Amino acid sequence: MIHPKEYYTAIFGVDRPELRSLVSRAMRRGGSYCDIFFENTSYGSLSLRDGAVTSGGSHQDFGVGIRVLDGEKTGYAYSESTNPALMADCADAAAAIASGTATDVSPYGTRRPSRGEPNPAADRYPEKQGWREASMHFFLPFLQKLEQSIRSKDKRVVKVIANLAFQNSDYLMYNSFDELKWDSRPMGTVAVQVVFSQDGKYENQSASRSWRCGAEMLTDSLIEELSSEAVGRVDERFAARRPAGGKMKVVMGAGASGILLHEAMGHAFEADFNRKGTSVFADKMGKRVCPEGIFIVDDGTIPGNRGSLNYDDEGVPGQKTYMVEDGILTSYLHDRISAAHYGVAPTGNGRRESFRYAPIPRMRATYMESGVACPDSLIKEAGNGIYVDQFSNGQVKIGEGDFTFFVKSGFLIEDGRLTMPVKDINIIGNGPEALKDIIAVGNDLKIDQGAWTCGKEQSVPVSCGIPSVLIKNLTVGGA
Amino acid sequence: MKEYLISASEEALARHCMEEALKNGASGVRVNLSKSLMDLVGILNGEVDRVSHSLDRSLQLSLFVDGRFGTFSSNRLEKENLDQFIQKAVETVRMLEEDPLRSLPAPERVAHDAVSGNELELYSPSYEAMDSARRREIALESCVWEHRHEMEKGFSVLSEECEYSDSVYDVLMLDSNGLEARHRETSFEIGCETTIQDEGGRLYESYWWDASTALEKLSWKDCGVKALRRAAAQMNPGDIPGGRYNMIVDTECASKLLTPLLTALGGYSLQQNNSFLAGSLGKQLFPTFLNILDRPHDKGCSGSRLFDSEGVATKEDFVIKDGVVSKYFLSTYMARKMNMEPTVDDCTRAVVEPIGNCDTLESLLREVGDGILVTGFNGGNSNSATGNFSYGIEGFLIKDGKRVRPLRGMLITGDFPALWNKLFLTAADARPCMTKQIPSLAFHDVDFSS
Repeated sequence: MIHPKEYYTAIFGVDRPELRSLVSRAMRRGGSYCDIFFENTSYGSLSLRDGAVTSGGSHQDFGVGIRVLDGEKTGYAYSESTNPALMADCADAAAAIASGTATDVSPYGTRRPSRGEPNPAADRYPEKQGWREASMHFFLPFLQKLEQSIRSKDKRVVKVIANLAFQNSDYLMYNSFDELKWDSRPMGTVAVQVVFSQDGKYENQSASRSWRCGAEMLTDSLIEELSSEAVGRVDERFAARRPAGGKMKVVMGAGASGILLHEAMGHAFEADFNRKGTSVFADKMGKRVCPEGIFIVDDGTIPGNRGSLNYDDEGVPGQKTYMVEDGILTSYLHDRISAAHYGVAPTGNGRRESFRYAPIPRMRATYMESGVACPDSLIKEAGNGIYVDQFSNGQVKIGEGDFTFFVKSGFLIEDGRLTMPVKDINIIGNGPEALKDIIAVGNDLKIDQGAWTCGKEQSVPVSCGIPSVLIKNLTVGGA
Repeated sequence: MKEYLISASEEALARHCMEEALKNGASGVRVNLSKSLMDLVGILNGEVDRVSHSLDRSLQLSLFVDGRFGTFSSNRLEKENLDQFIQKAVETVRMLEEDPLRSLPAPERVAHDAVSGNELELYSPSYEAMDSARRREIALESCVWEHRHEMEKGFSVLSEECEYSDSVYDVLMLDSNGLEARHRETSFEIGCETTIQDEGGRLYESYWWDASTALEKLSWKDCGVKALRRAAAQMNPGDIPGGRYNMIVDTECASKLLTPLLTALGGYSLQQNNSFLAGSLGKQLFPTFLNILDRPHDKGCSGSRLFDSEGVATKEDFVIKDGVVSKYFLSTYMARKMNMEPTVDDCTRAVVEPIGNCDTLESLLREVGDGILVTGFNGGNSNSATGNFSYGIEGFLIKDGKRVRPLRGMLITGDFPALWNKLFLTAADARPCMTKQIPSLAFHDVDFSS
């Protein structure tokens, strides 16, 4: 949602002359660049447990962060009030990174100021029914119906936890290029966790959906979608076993298994790691990193997507960035610091958790574009191996590229067919090697709509996706 | 007046909020007012790269209204805003469904001895002497960058990031049953992360850190050196055939194996039938020599605390005694849901009692002889309902008590109750900076795959 400028200047109680004055104060010891980031966030939540919506609440978070850059060095301070004296204190604290005088200010980076005002017609996340205006009375029946729908689908359900979380954040951003940008970002998330009992054994499954949109997302079709997913494959879960481990072919199912792309490759494409030389891709720009025909994207432009942005948290317009084109590494993901370092334009990846943090390069919606193969043909081609469609946890070492992912659900592939369900195993490998080892890419890209949150130093909402992909050699840790 | 501590006027504001909520119709109120200040200096490759200064205040309200419950918070502490916020909050709680099991803890269960906030001696006066020059000095002294060439043998140092921070945290908890509890704590932390490249171009990274509630107990000068040594030790890794091996888990990463046990003993997991330790209270599930305690009152120790998130008084207690599960962590609400006696809502400061006579990791390795030393976990997860786990590991192959070669690309699998039954020895090397005091652990017959 993009409101008129006056909406934001009224919330934060500032005008352009005051902002200019504050920037001057922050840069009185010199430096290259300064920005001011205002935030007004309201959160709400409701939780259903044991058949009733018995807890909920709301939260306010308000403040302003001031950043001074001296080359690639950062001074940062924030205030939870926009009181002029407190903001001046912040400016002084951030200014401490520099040690010169106001005349030492130097041009910064590839200066490409976008002087235009935010355009409401280009809004990527309009709200039809604002969360702030909607009533709790409307939300309770949604969670109750969701629980009823889940219980009606499977008699083995013993517990249901359903959560609804929603937020609206207003932002005003000003910088030493005299750019002033503003944005309001909604977010709604519904998540369910279901516990099942069968023959004295317990299993759990979960499902979630999250979008940048208003309360209009709370529909009957969403209830049906979530409840079907939450109970849909419980038979497989009870039947699943740990397979024998070893090195084998792996088919990544379309959609949620894109988290592996995010963790094992996407982070290594973030430019801060490369600027510091700590990424395994630090010397790979312009080089082939995977077979021809593969395109890997980080996209902030998908309407309503959890990772989409009208502007990033440095006031840079949201955009779609190709990191890998036809198998060649063509771009890192940049904030203003890394863009200046590499002499390129920022890619709109400067993101932060809140005004309490300085921005760093972060992903938005990261996915691999569709290939040409039929998904079923990948399973046939694998012959024997593992099919994975959901991971529940993963970790990667950015420098080495080594990753380990916990498989939440999948199947054995035997003689080109899906056979025994598998669970509670890990897949381990190396990001660059796995990219090189891609044999085929399906024509079925699916961007997962779950509540993904990336936790690199700070938490930011993201999404991920992938088409079905066949990789020739990963280690599966089995029984 | 120190700006970073809760002032008399802020305390009065917290009391006002409680009164305001009661005036608006709440039957019970808990107020949690917190304030913290943190300063940080980051060093990249021997030069100051980041400085930051952050002061936070937050007021949290737990409201009990007409048999209903809700939680609310704001960092906008202007009285007019809070009055409106509280009025709306009470209205919001009234829209929720009734839950007769929600209540404040009984007055006799809450802490009565957390008066000054410094009863556990976690607030260090040395904090008051800190300034930006001293912070930069400490951060720079932690680095090895200037002397890296003296240590580069078969590798080059690509990057060294060191970060020093200090902070003070002050919290006041009040409730409408008369609870008044204060906790104040300082923290001094240093961390270094180093990336090196071997002659074949492969990268290795590692870290070291230390933390203390008092600057004089913080070790920072060797932090960069230790991170670099740990990175260099990983060079030329390989794997070995899968199979059953003794596993020694370094104290540095041992909490990965204890935390799922503590979570499984928590009310939220138990009540939802999502715990592999459901029905375990009073049962002998572990070896008789295993004792795990909750020791929240150790003075000057990170993690100690006199009260939990409800204000309930913590106490020293066994979690596992002689192998018997001795305690569930049950908040007032979860206890009433489960028709059990409440305890505290979580384990405050877990301590695993050492087993055997090995003081150090090195003596433990000698005692065990052969096996795999795990120095870090890389990914993996566990199933909270079944206790099954699978984790990626990194570490070293051990022969005759010595590190033979670094290992990568291996996994361990199993289930937690069975794993802890394979524990046979520990060191006594838990680091004071850790809130969970877990020594290096030795298990036999652990399943490794590669």
